[in-house]
Amino acid sequence: MKLSELKAGDRAEITVVAAEPAVRRRLMDMGLIRGTEFQVLRFAPLGDPIEIGYKGLLLTMRLKEAENITVEKLPEQEPQDQAGGVFSMMRFFGRR
Amino acid sequence: MGALKEIRVALTGNPNAGKSSLFNVLTGSHQRVGNFPGVTIEKHEGYLDYQDSRITVVDLPGTYSLTPYSPEEIVTRRYIIDEKPDVVVNVLDGTNLERNLLLTAQLMEMEVELLVALNMIDEVEEKGISIDFDQLEKLLGCHIVPTSARRQQGLEELLDHIVHISDGRIEISKNKMTFSPVIESAVEKIAGMLRHERELDSSNHRWMAVKLLENDREVYSLVRQYPVWVKVELALQEAITECERLHRTDPEALITEDRYAFVRGAMQECVRQPKASRATVSDYIDMIVLNRVLGLPVFFVVVWAIFQLTFTLGAPLMAGLEFVFSLFARSLEPLLPNAMLKSIIVDGIIAGVGSVVVYLPNIVLLFIGLSFLEASGYMARAAFVIDKVMHRFGLHGKSFIPMVTGFGCSIPAIMATRTLKSRSDRLATIMTIPFMSCGAKLPVYVLLAGAFFPPAMAANVMFGIYLLGIVVGLWTAWMLKSTVLKSDSEPFVMELPPYRWPTLASVVFQARMKALMYLKKAGTLILLAVMAIWAASNFPHSQEIDAVLAREKSRIEASAAPQDRKSVELHQITTRAQAAQLEYSLAGRSGKIIEPLIRPIGFDWRIGISLVTGVVSKEVVVSTLGTIFSIGKSDQGTAGLSSILRNDPGFSKATALSLMVFVLLYIPCLASLGVMKKEVGSWKPVLMYTGYVLAIAWSASFITYRLALIML
Repeated sequence: MKLSELKAGDRAEITVVAAEPAVRRRLMDMGLIRGTEFQVLRFAPLGDPIEIGYKGLLLTMRLKEAENITVEKLPEQEPQDQAGGVFSMMRFFGRR
Repeated sequence: MGALKEIRVALTGNPNAGKSSLFNVLTGSHQRVGNFPGVTIEKHEGYLDYQDSRITVVDLPGTYSLTPYSPEEIVTRRYIIDEKPDVVVNVLDGTNLERNLLLTAQLMEMEVELLVALNMIDEVEEKGISIDFDQLEKLLGCHIVPTSARRQQGLEELLDHIVHISDGRIEISKNKMTFSPVIESAVEKIAGMLRHERELDSSNHRWMAVKLLENDREVYSLVRQYPVWVKVELALQEAITECERLHRTDPEALITEDRYAFVRGAMQECVRQPKASRATVSDYIDMIVLNRVLGLPVFFVVVWAIFQLTFTLGAPLMAGLEFVFSLFARSLEPLLPNAMLKSIIVDGIIAGVGSVVVYLPNIVLLFIGLSFLEASGYMARAAFVIDKVMHRFGLHGKSFIPMVTGFGCSIPAIMATRTLKSRSDRLATIMTIPFMSCGAKLPVYVLLAGAFFPPAMAANVMFGIYLLGIVVGLWTAWMLKSTVLKSDSEPFVMELPPYRWPTLASVVFQARMKALMYLKKAGTLILLAVMAIWAASNFPHSQEIDAVLAREKSRIEASAAPQDRKSVELHQITTRAQAAQLEYSLAGRSGKIIEPLIRPIGFDWRIGISLVTGVVSKEVVVSTLGTIFSIGKSDQGTAGLSSILRNDPGFSKATALSLMVFVLLYIPCLASLGVMKKEVGSWKPVLMYTGYVLAIAWSASFITYRLALIML
């Protein structure tokens, strides 16, 4: 599926990054290469762009860019990484 | 003391790695800001004397990589290749090593004299990250110096290493980046071909081969000029096929993956991070600041605060400066013997310098606010929150704050567009800003709306004017971005840096740099333009009017009228003479020349004159109207300008509306044109833009005037 189709809180792994050369290279240089695992942290208040977190890094991109990234969704797991605390709190605030 | 030894150092690193802070603490006040040739990217250069060396430091723009896709990365590459600095210092954010080391890997490929400054070492220690420096040095093949620009740690050691490396006294063996076998064999093969091309002048064939495999358009177009290209192209094709067969990807992706594999290997071997199981403070702040519900309100409060800081706090300072200038002018006036000299010095030079300097408080305050936002990490988040709206008009999320600042004053607003990386985003934003109705236009609206509409309606009219400005501005941006500025849009792939407290020194430093830049670069231009308009409104000067004025004055003095009656008459006759002189001057004549052009939108030559002088600054429209419309109205001399306008046959509600629209949209003031030229880099786009705003202003005023004539 596409990165843009994920929901806030979803975890996924990148399989293919395909976009026009400049964007693709930028995404890859930011560490979005095959096998990178990440979590969708949130969408902007107006629904676009999207923010993802991986390896202590917070990256934002427009949904238009996120459409070019193919990912494999990972099964839900008990939060254990950095973003986990945030998500337990987000559940507490009831916004998923 | 003998001559100092010259050492040239280039600083490279990711954005937010603390590169500029390091640059500032190293070079202090010995700095100079220029542009890299051909692009509007700032080049910060500074120097310091250390032991018996003069170390010149160039702060290259912050980059994540060295691709040919962004001007920052091209500038960095070219500088390293063409200028061959003695030492390249790679500044790393120690708390974010993995991503930062990707650039290090690419610098290793360039085979430069590399030195790593592992910055933010204080935060690294706080976070409990431990680094095996010896092993990491071995892997990277260069020395690593832990530094903290904020605490001024490790600077001396860094400088020692720079001196040693430039002396050739380094005792570390270089290491090479090794790629996957497919890539390595292709690199070997292509590098060999390039080496045999005698015409090709390059010291690093291996790097070129890697870049060719990465589809690098700059190296492509270089190598394509040589006969060896035929063979190289075949080898590249072969590599692509092999890559696809063995790794199911293309060489470019595989090379990036290899670099990351190298970096991850190094991380695993040398860096121990404590398991971060709980969310950081940054995460908690983001939960509020980027919250679905709270995100926008927080954003608007921040923007409002910046606006208030700049303009509400700036207003008394601005008034103070104006007061100082007028005090200076007044105390100088009696000392000057002749009226012409008086006018040149007081109305020309002092007023001219004053008109440049009065904007300083706004500029300094805005940039204190902006550099705080930038350094704290909120700026990127603001862009994230508002991007969707801005993107609809072809703009970037970061365009918002400069645009809002435009409601106060275009000058700091245009300067604030520097936060935008892509040139086309920046141009589009700059050209939107003058439509955000600035503070100097307000007196014009207050006068006209107040004179022709009842108070409740006047507020609506002014609101409508502001709205019109926003609509035209956004439309302009959209139109530019879908035509001339279509290409080279910055992809919105943006890192949100962790929140940090900005240091006072860096905030002050930024504000000071901006102020100096404004005074030096734009100030002289503005000063010249203001003086030119002054000359146009004072020359040619009619001796005849002077003579009549003198005669009338002495007639009044000699009359038997009471003293207060005399002074009123004297005031009236002087105003009339001023108006007559203005009419006689170049500015006055051009008002008459353009009358046929502005007739259709409801203006006569008197309004024409005020539009000409109003180019200096929009509030001048009001004072010129005051002078010119007092002609022949001596019996109402004491009545306000608004009643004069109301009773003037040449002025109707329709004229007032049309004039407000025209003042909103027509040529930005000279000061902002000067700053615009400075930021855009050449006059051509500025002049084209001036033509565009005139056309827009005329059309909008025409429609307004005609509609108003029918409806009112």
